[in-house]
Amino acid sequence: MHFRAIMLTVLTVFIVEPKAFAKKVLKYSEDGAPSNFDPVQSATIYANKITTAVYHTLYEYKYLKVPYELKTNLAEAMPVVSKDGLTYTIKIRKGVKYKDDACFKNGKGREVVAQDFIYSIKRHFDPKNRSQGSWLWKGKILGIDKWKKSGAKYGKKVEGLQALDKYTIQIKLVKPYPQLIYTFAMGFSSVVPEESVKKYGRELSIKPVGSGPFYVASHTSKKTVLERNKNYVGKKFNAKEEGYDPKIHGASGIANLNGKTMPFVDRVEVNWVKELVARWNSFTKGNEIVWTMLQNQQISEVLETKHPVKLKKKFAAKYNFRVGREAGLVYNHFNMDNKKLGYHPNPKIAEKNKALRCAVRKAVNWRKRIDKFYLGIGDAYPGFIPPIVDGFDKTLPNDSVKLDIVGAKKLLKDAGWNAKNLPTIIYPGVSSVRTRQFFEDFRGNMSKIGYPKKKIKFKGYATFGDFNKDVKRRKTMLVPMGWGLDYPDAENTLGLFYGPNASPGSNASNYDNPQYDKLYAAASTMQPGLERTELYKKMNKIIIDDCVTVSSFSRTRVYLWHKNAIMWPQRDIINNIFKYSDIKK
Amino acid sequence: METISFIARKLCYSVPLMFGVTLISFVLMVYFGPDKTYDLLGKNPTKEEIAEVRHELGYDKPFITRYGDYLSEIVKFDFGHSDSTGERVISIFKKSVPVTVALAIPGFLFGNLIAIFLALLASYNRGKWQDKIIMIGSVVGMSISLLVVIIAFQVLFCSSYGLNMFPVQGWEVNSIWDYMKYVTVPTMSTVFVAVGYNTRFYRAVFVEEMTRDHVRTARAYGCPPLRLLFKSILKNSMIPIITRVIFTLPFIIIGGSILIESYFGIPGVGLVTFDAITSGDQPILKAVVVMTAIMYVVVLTLTDILYKTVDPRISLA
Repeated sequence: MHFRAIMLTVLTVFIVEPKAFAKKVLKYSEDGAPSNFDPVQSATIYANKITTAVYHTLYEYKYLKVPYELKTNLAEAMPVVSKDGLTYTIKIRKGVKYKDDACFKNGKGREVVAQDFIYSIKRHFDPKNRSQGSWLWKGKILGIDKWKKSGAKYGKKVEGLQALDKYTIQIKLVKPYPQLIYTFAMGFSSVVPEESVKKYGRELSIKPVGSGPFYVASHTSKKTVLERNKNYVGKKFNAKEEGYDPKIHGASGIANLNGKTMPFVDRVEVNWVKELVARWNSFTKGNEIVWTMLQNQQISEVLETKHPVKLKKKFAAKYNFRVGREAGLVYNHFNMDNKKLGYHPNPKIAEKNKALRCAVRKAVNWRKRIDKFYLGIGDAYPGFIPPIVDGFDKTLPNDSVKLDIVGAKKLLKDAGWNAKNLPTIIYPGVSSVRTRQFFEDFRGNMSKIGYPKKKIKFKGYATFGDFNKDVKRRKTMLVPMGWGLDYPDAENTLGLFYGPNASPGSNASNYDNPQYDKLYAAASTMQPGLERTELYKKMNKIIIDDCVTVSSFSRTRVYLWHKNAIMWPQRDIINNIFKYSDIKK
Repeated sequence: METISFIARKLCYSVPLMFGVTLISFVLMVYFGPDKTYDLLGKNPTKEEIAEVRHELGYDKPFITRYGDYLSEIVKFDFGHSDSTGERVISIFKKSVPVTVALAIPGFLFGNLIAIFLALLASYNRGKWQDKIIMIGSVVGMSISLLVVIIAFQVLFCSSYGLNMFPVQGWEVNSIWDYMKYVTVPTMSTVFVAVGYNTRFYRAVFVEEMTRDHVRTARAYGCPPLRLLFKSILKNSMIPIITRVIFTLPFIIIGGSILIESYFGIPGVGLVTFDAITSGDQPILKAVVVMTAIMYVVVLTLTDILYKTVDPRISLA
C-alpha cells in the first residue's frame, strides 16, 4: 500500500502535472543590444535592463507609480539628510548576499556590506575603468576628485564617501545635491564586490557578479539569458505600494501578483533584435518573444484608431497594450558657438542670427514630423522640460512649436535676410535612411520659408562616435539629438543649457547666458518645492525666448505584450522590470 | 618532401605579406577609422576625461609604438580586450567562429553542389530549353537581394503569416534536431542567392571544357553522357572549381554573413566584425585582419597543393 502511494505521488508529480516543475521563462526582447554590463559603463537602456536585474542599487523606483517615486532596494530606509543638505546617511539591509561565484571564498556569495558601495562609486573615478557615469558625482562628493587626481588608490579614503560600519554609508557633499538620491537608483550606482573585479577584470562586463534577483547565465550579441539568483531573498509584491491603479493596470493581471514573492519567473531570455521585421515575426509567432514596441510601419496593420489608441480586434484578442510617453525628449539645438547662426561679437549680427534661429524654429512642422516619424501620436511642447517632471507648464504659449510660415518669412525679411545672404546650414547625422529622411524633412520645411534648397546640406557620419566627436568639438551647426532623462527632475534637461556644461560637456548648444546660469546654479541645490519650480519655469522661458533650440517632443510609445505575460513594460527611467514580470503557465 | 618544402617556402613568403597587410590596415584604422573615444564618453565629459579615455585606448601613443604593440600582439596571438564589450577578443572569436562555420557550411556545400549539377546540365544542353531555364533561374537568383530573400523566407517558413515551421530567430543548438531547426531557413536563403552566381560561373567553365579535343574524342567514341560529364568534363574543370570554392572559405569563416546573422538572431562572427567596423573597436579589427591574412595564406597554400593533386603535371617547385 505504502509503495503504491509513493508511486502514485511520483506519477502525479512527474507525469500528470509536469507543468508544476517547468521553469517559468520570460522571453523578452529589445530593439537594440547592450555592449557592457559593468555598472561603470552601463550607459544604455539595454545594458541597464540587465545591470539592474543583476545588481542591487540602494534605491529603485516604484514599479507602476507615475510621477516616479523612489523606494528602498538595498537601502533599509530613505536616507537621513543633515539640515544643511550636505550629509547623507544610509543604512543598508543586513543579510543580502551576492550570488555564488568562483570569485568568492569557497565559491559562496558573501554578504553585501557598506564598503562595497563605497568601492563601487570609487570605481567610477578610476580612469582605467572608462566610466560613463562619473559625471553624476564629479565635483559633488567631497574629496572624490582629489582622490582621482592623487592616483585613484582604493586603499586611500575619500572624505565624503565612507562606510561608518558594516551596514552604514555616509556621503558628504560639496554643496547640496538633491538629485543625489536619484543617482543611487541608476544602474551606474550598482553595488559590485571587489572580488569580482579582481577575478574577472575587464571581463566583468560580461560576467557580472551581483546580489540582484537574477544572474547572467549566458550572453551573446543576440541574446542574454538570466537565471534566478538563489541567494536573492525577494520581497513580497505589494501592488498598492507600487502604484497599482485598477483603471490603468487592471487588464494586465498585475493585481494577481499581490502578496507573491519576487521574482516570479525562473529565467529571462532577453533577445536583442534590432531588425524590425524579424522582431515583429518573432512576436506574432506566439511562442517566441512576448514583448515589442509598435513602429510606424505597423501602425495601420495593428491599430483601429490612434486617438485614442485602440487595437484591431484580432490583435486585441491576443495582446495587451500600453501607451506611454517617454521620459526624455528629441530636439534640434543650434550651435550658439557658430557665428553664422549663433553668438557674434557684433550685437547687430547677433540679433540678426537670433531672428534666423527663430525663423527656422517657426518653419518646423512638428505635426508632420510626428506623423511621419513618431507614430503620429502626441504633440510637441514649448521649452525643454518634459511633461513627466516638475516644472512642465501646460499653460505655456505654444508659439515656439507652432508652424508659422508667414511669421518666419517676416522675421527673416525684417532682419535683412534674403535668399542670397542666408548662410548654408549643414544638417549633421549618423548616416542612415532615417537620418536622411529627417534631413529631407528639415530641408523641405526650410524651403517653405524661402531658404534655397542648395543652402541646406547634409553631413553624414559613419558612426555615432564620429558625429559626437564633431558635436563635442563644436563643429556642427545643428545638434539633432535625443536625451533620455537620467532621473525625473528638470534639472537634468535644463543642465543642457548651463554654461559650465558647454562642449565637450552636455551643453551641446554651447548656450552661455549668465542670467540662466545663475538661476540654474541656484535651482540645482534647492529641494523640490514651489520656489524651485518657479526657477525651472523661468529658465525654460529664457531658452524659448533666445531661440536656442527647436524643441521639444517626448515620443509616445505603444507597447504590446502577449496576454500570458503579466507585466507593465517600461524602458526609460525604470529599468528594473524583470523581477515584477510573470508568465502564466 | 616537395610539398613540405613548398609549405615552408610559402610560410616564409607570408611574413612580408602579413607585415604589409597589417601595416596598411593599421594605417587605415588609425587615420581613417571611427574614433572610439566619443563612443565611450559619459553624458557630460570634460576635456580631461576625453584625454583619459584616449590614453586608456592608447590613442595618445605615437603611431610607431602602436604598430609595434600590434606586431607584438600578433606574435603572442593575444589581441587584448574588446573596447566595446570588455570581453577578450580571442574568447569572442572562440564563441562566434564555430557558430558561423556551422551556419555557413550547409549553404556553402549545397550552394556549390547544386550549382555544379545545374551547370553540368546546362552546359551539356547548351542552347537548348534546359540551358535557358537554368540560366533564367540563375539570373533571377542573382537579381534578388539576399535581404529580400531572407525577409520573404522568414515570413513564408517561420512566421504566423506563413507556414510557421521554423523559429524566426535564435541559436540554441543542443542536438542535431536543434541544428536542423535553426539552420534550415538561413541555408535556404543562402543557397537561393548563391546558386545563381555559382551556376553561371561553373557553366562557363564547363562550356569551355566541352569544346576541348578530348571531350570531342570521347563523344566520338560514344562515351555515355554521365561518364563524359563527370569523368572528362568535371574532373578537368577542377582547377577553377577549387580556386572558387577554396577562396570562399576565409570569407565564410571570418566574414560570415551579417544579414543572415542579424535577421535570424545568430551570434556569429559576421555581426562581431560588422559591429567592430562600425564602432571602431580596434582590438577586434586587428584580430580580424590578422586572421583573414592567415586564412588566405593557408588557403593559397592549400589551393596549390590541391592543384597538384588534381593535376599531377603541376609542379610545386
